[in-house]
Amino acid sequence: MAAPLRPRARRAGRLTSFVLLPLLAFLAACGPSAVVPTVPPGATSSVVPPATATPAPTFPVTITDDEGTAVEIPAEPQHIVSLTPAATETLFALGVADRVVAKVEDIAAYPPEADDLPVVATFQGVDVEQIVSLEADLVIAGGGNPSFTPISAIEQLRRVGIPVVVLYARSVDEALAGIETIGSAAGAVDAAADVVGSMRADFDELAAATAGLDRPKTFYELDATSKIYTVPAGSLYAEMLELAGADPITTDDSYEISLEELVAADPEVILLGDDADYTTVDDVAARPGWGDITAVKDGNVLAIPEYVLVTRPGPRLADGLRALVLALHPEALD
Amino acid sequence: MSPGSAVLAARAGRTGRLGLARRPVGLAIVGLVLLAVALVAGIGGGTVAIAPGDTLAILGRRLLGLDIATTWAASAETIVMDLRLPRVLTAMVVGGGLAVAGAAFQGLLRNPLADPYVLGTASGAAFGAAIAVLIPVRALVLEFGLLHGFAFLGALAAVLVVYKLSRVGASSPMTSLLLTGYAVGSLLAAGLAMAMYLSGAGLRQIFAYLLGGFDASSWGRLAVAAPLIVIASLGILLRARSLNGMLLGEEAAAHLGVDVRRERAVLLALASLATAAAVAISGLIGFVGLVAPHVVRLVVGPNARLVLPLAALLGASLMVGADLAARLLGDLPVGVITAVIGAPFFLALLRRTRSGYEL
Repeated sequence: MAAPLRPRARRAGRLTSFVLLPLLAFLAACGPSAVVPTVPPGATSSVVPPATATPAPTFPVTITDDEGTAVEIPAEPQHIVSLTPAATETLFALGVADRVVAKVEDIAAYPPEADDLPVVATFQGVDVEQIVSLEADLVIAGGGNPSFTPISAIEQLRRVGIPVVVLYARSVDEALAGIETIGSAAGAVDAAADVVGSMRADFDELAAATAGLDRPKTFYELDATSKIYTVPAGSLYAEMLELAGADPITTDDSYEISLEELVAADPEVILLGDDADYTTVDDVAARPGWGDITAVKDGNVLAIPEYVLVTRPGPRLADGLRALVLALHPEALD
Repeated sequence: MSPGSAVLAARAGRTGRLGLARRPVGLAIVGLVLLAVALVAGIGGGTVAIAPGDTLAILGRRLLGLDIATTWAASAETIVMDLRLPRVLTAMVVGGGLAVAGAAFQGLLRNPLADPYVLGTASGAAFGAAIAVLIPVRALVLEFGLLHGFAFLGALAAVLVVYKLSRVGASSPMTSLLLTGYAVGSLLAAGLAMAMYLSGAGLRQIFAYLLGGFDASSWGRLAVAAPLIVIASLGILLRARSLNGMLLGEEAAAHLGVDVRRERAVLLALASLATAAAVAISGLIGFVGLVAPHVVRLVVGPNARLVLPLAALLGASLMVGADLAARLLGDLPVGVITAVIGAPFFLALLRRTRSGYEL
C-alpha cells in the first residue's frame, strides 16, 4: 500500500527545500505518513461464510471488512477494481486476474501483466465515474485513519450500489487475513487458502531462523528527504522488523522522528527503505548530524532495494521479511 | 423606485457604461442562459463520455417521467443521476450562495475587497474542520461527518465572536467589524496551523478541505445544505433595499428609513449562514464570492436589486464551469480553477472600465 505514494511524497519533499511555503511543507509531511495511518480501534478482519458452507465459493456472501462494515456481494464478481497495490498483487496471485478490470496507479506494478490494467485512481483521487462505467461489481479499497482510499470515494461507490471491501492490515496476521478476505470476496477461497498457507510456512521458517539471534537496534528509514519518517510501534512494519530479528526504533502514532531522538536512540543498523533514486548509502553519512550514529560509523547502513515488499501487505510479504533477514542476519539464511 | 435606488441608479449611469442597468430583464435572461449552458455542460461532461442524446434522455426519463426506451448502459444512468447531477447542483447552489454572500459583505462593509470569508468564516470553518480531523471518531449523520459539522459551527461561531467583539457601545462600526474580523481570523489561522502541525497523518484530509471541491457531493448532502443556502440567499435578495441604503452610508440609510442596526445584523447573519453552509459541504473555494459581484457591478452598476440576483446566476455558472474544468483536468482542487480563471478575468474587466468604478 505504501509504495505508490512514495515518489510523490519525495517530490513534494524536494520542492520544500526550494520553495519554502509552509503549506507545501505540510503537504510533504503528510505524504509518507498518509501511507500507513493510525489504527481505528477494535477493527478486525473476518469472513462470515455463507449459510451453507461448502468448499466451493458460493454467493451471495457477506464479508466483514477491516473497518467492521458488512459488505454483501450478491454474485461472483466479474468486474473487480483494485484500489491498493497490495490488492492488485493479491488478485493476480489468486488467479482471478482475468476478472480485474482496473487498478490504482502503482509505481512498482507486480506481476508485470498488472501494468496493462487501466488506472482509475491516483494519489490525488479516485475516478468514481470510470469505475461505475466499467460496471464494477467489487472494489477492494485501502482503509486506515486517514483512509488510504478517500472516504468520499468509498461512500460514493457504496451509494451507487457497488460493494466496497476496505482493507487495512496492522499486523502480519491481518495482512494474511486480508488475502483470505479478498479470496472470499472474489470467489477464490481455495486459492487464498493456498497462498496464505505457503506464506505462513515462510513466515514461520524465517521467524524460527532469527529466533535467539542478537537483535541489533535498527532504524528503518521510510523517508528522510525533508523530515525523518520511520515505523510506528504496533504497526505491520514494526512487526516485520521484529520477526526479522531487529530491535526497531519506533515512533508512537506519528511516523515522524526528530534527528535528536534518532541520535539519542543511536541505532546499530540503519535500513534504507526509501527509493534508491533519491537516497543512497553514501548520502546517509554525508547528512549533517548523522556522522556520530553507531550504524554510520560502523558502516551498517544497508539499502533494502525492493522496499515495496516490506511495506505492501500482499502475497509477497514473506519475501519482504526475507529481504529484511538477508540484510540483518544473512548468516541465518544459510 | 425608492430614493436609495434612485441615487444608485444615477451612480450606475457613471459606472455601468454600457447602460445595461436599464435592461434588467435582458440581463436576467443572459444570466439564466449562461447558467443553463453551464449546467448542461456540467452534466454532459466528465471522465466518462456519455452521448449528449443519452444524457438528455436519461434526464427526461428520470426527472420528467418521460417514457423513453433505454438505449444506454445502466452505468450511464448511475453516472448522470447519482454522480454528476448532485455534484453539479451542489456547485450551482454553493456558487450562487457565495456570490450573494460576497455581494452582501461588500455592500455592508463598503469594502471592495470583502468576500464571504472576510469576517472569519473561512478561518473558523478551517479550524473547525482541522479539529474534527484530530478527533479520531468517524460518525455520519445524514451523510455528514464530524468535519462538516465542525466546519459549519466553526464558521458561524467565528462570525458571532467577531460581531460581539467589534461592538463599541451599542453599535459596531464597520471599520471595527473588519479589523476584528481580521484579528480573529489571524488567531484562528494560528490555531489552524497548530492543528495541522499536530495532525500528522490527518494532514492530507485537512489540506483537501482547505482546497475545496465537490467530489464528495451527494443527494443527501445537497438536501441538507441547499435549503440553508437558498433560504439565506433569498433573505438577502429580499433585503436589497436596505443594502442599497447602506451603500450610501449609515446616516443616509437611516434617513431613508432603514433600521441600520437591525438590518445590518440580519444581513450579516444571513450572509454568514449561507457561507457557513457552503463551506461545510464544499470546503474553502475562493474567488467566486469576490469576483462574481464585482463583474456584475462593472456591468450594471451598484444597485443591489440587480447585483444580487445577477451575481447569484454568475457565481453559480462560474462554479459549475470551474468544477467541470477541475473534473476534466484530473480532479484538480476547484479552488485552483476559480482563482486561475477568476483573477485574470477580473483584472481585464477592471482595466477596461478604469474610470470611476466604485461600490
